[in-house]
Amino acid sequence: MAKKARRKRIHQQAVWPRTTSLEEREAVLSFWEERFGIPKETFDPYLLLATAKNYWLFVKPPDLKALQGLRVQTTGLLFTRKVSRWLKPTSTALQRFGHLATKNVVQLSPAELDRLRRERKISYEAPLEEGYVVISCEGKVWGCGLYTPGKLISYLP
Amino acid sequence: MLTLAEAPAYFERYREIIPDFERFLEHLKEPLPLYFRLNELKCPDPEIVIRGLARQGARAEPVERVPNFYRVEPRTFPLGNTEEYYLGYIYPMTLNSSLPVIALDPQPGEVILDMCAAPGSKTTQIAQVTGDQAVIVANDRRLDRLTALVANLKRLGIACAMTTLYRGEEFPHGVPFDKVLVDAPCSGEGRYRQGYEGELLYQKEGRTNLPAIQKGLLVRAFDLVRVGGIVVYSTCTINPDENEMVVDYLLRKRQGRIIECHYPQPHHPGLTEWEGKILHPDLKKAARFFPHETDSVGFFVAKIERLM
Ligand SMILES: C[S@@+](CC[C@H](N)C(=O)[O-])C[C@H]1O[C@@H](n2cnc3c(N)ncnc32)[C@H](O)[C@@H]1O
Repeated sequence: MAKKARRKRIHQQAVWPRTTSLEEREAVLSFWEERFGIPKETFDPYLLLATAKNYWLFVKPPDLKALQGLRVQTTGLLFTRKVSRWLKPTSTALQRFGHLATKNVVQLSPAELDRLRRERKISYEAPLEEGYVVISCEGKVWGCGLYTPGKLISYLP
Repeated sequence: MLTLAEAPAYFERYREIIPDFERFLEHLKEPLPLYFRLNELKCPDPEIVIRGLARQGARAEPVERVPNFYRVEPRTFPLGNTEEYYLGYIYPMTLNSSLPVIALDPQPGEVILDMCAAPGSKTTQIAQVTGDQAVIVANDRRLDRLTALVANLKRLGIACAMTTLYRGEEFPHGVPFDKVLVDAPCSGEGRYRQGYEGELLYQKEGRTNLPAIQKGLLVRAFDLVRVGGIVVYSTCTINPDENEMVVDYLLRKRQGRIIECHYPQPHHPGLTEWEGKILHPDLKKAARFFPHETDSVGFFVAKIERLM
C-alpha cells in the first residue's frame, strides 16, 4: 500500500503526455510573452507537452515516436498549470526562465521575502498589473506570486 | 563494516595495481574534500553563489581544470542546507564524478541513455554541458532513487530529460541511442576513506554478484547504442573484477574498441592483466583514477565505440 502511494507521486504520467497543437502552444507561450515579456522564441528549442492539468517543456527529439515506446515516469520540466480557466506559471519554470522577464517582476528585500515565505501573504503596494508575478530577491528568482492591489500572495514551493 | 584499521588488509590485494600503495593507505585517513558543480542553466552569475556562500561562512574557489566545479572550505560545510542549493544553482558532487561525462562528451541533439542515473549528478551534468539540448533518457531500477533523481531534475530546472524505471538489463530496444552511460552499481571502494568507513556496498552481503550485474548492464548498453555510437562504462571502485574484467567480457562478446580520452585529472592506464588472466589489449586505453592522486573518489572509466 505504502509503495503504491509512493509510485503515484512520481508517476505523473502513466502514458506519454500529448504534444500540444500549434494553437494551444501559441496560447500558452503568448501568456508568457504578454504577462512577463518573455519572447515566445525563447521556447523554440522545446516541445510543449500536455497532461490533464499541466504543460511540460521537453527538448525536441529527432524521433519522438521511438521515445514514445518507452514506459515513461516523467518528461521534461513542469512549465505551466491550468487553473480553472487561467494559466499559472510554475515556480520551477520561473526559476529557470524568470530572469528573462521584463515586466511584472517583484523585487523583494531579503526581509520581505522571508516574511512572504513564512506568512504566505503580505501587504504590498506596487505599480503592477493584477495577476501572477515573478518573485525576485537580490538577483535570484524564487518563483511565482500573485499580486492583487495591496497584497502579495506566495506560490513559492 | 570495514574500519580504517582493517583497510590495509582489505586493500592488500591491490598492492601491485595501486601506485604508491603506502601513500594511498595514508590518504584514506583524510576526509574527502567538498566540491560542487555550478548550474549555469539557472544561476545568472557565479558571483551570486560565491558571495552568498561567503556570507554563510564558506569559501568557494573555482577548480581551473574542470569547468564549473568549485572547491569549498570548510569541507564540513552543509551545502545542502543553503539557499543556493534550494534554488538549484549548485549540485554538490565529488570532482572525479565529472569524469564519465567528460568521456561521454555529449553534444546538443544527441539521444543519450543514462542507464543507472539516480540521483542524477551525471544526468544533470549532461544536460548542463549541452545547454539543456541533449535528449536524455534517465533510467534507474529503484523507485526511491528515481524519486531523488526527479527532484534533482526539477531543482536544477532541466527540461531535456525524461525518466524511466527499468532494470537496465531489460531496457527495451527501439530507440537508437547515440550514446549510453553506464555508471554502474559497484562496491564503491574508491569512495572508501575516513568518514566513509563501512560504505563498501554489497561487499559483505556476499549474495549480490556485482560483476555479473555489471556485465549484463554493459552488454545491454552496447546493444542499445547505434553502430558508431559510444558507451561509457564507469564505476567508483578499484576492483578489476568490476572494471577491466567487465569491459574485457564485452569486448570478447561484441565488436567494439576503447577510445582514449583526455581527462583533467591524473590517471593510469587500465590493466591488461589481472590475477594471471591476459585481458583485451585495448584496456590500456581505459583510465584509472586514484583517490590519493586526485584528492577525490577513485574512479574507473572506459569509453567504448560500437563497431558493428
Ligand atoms: C553508482 S549509482 C549511479 C549514480 C548516478 N549515475 C549519479 O551520478 O548520480 C548506481 C545506480 O544504479 C542503480 N541500479 C542498480 N542496479 C540497476 C539495474 N539493474 N538497472 C538499472 N539501474 C540499476 C542503483 O539504483 C543506483 O542508483
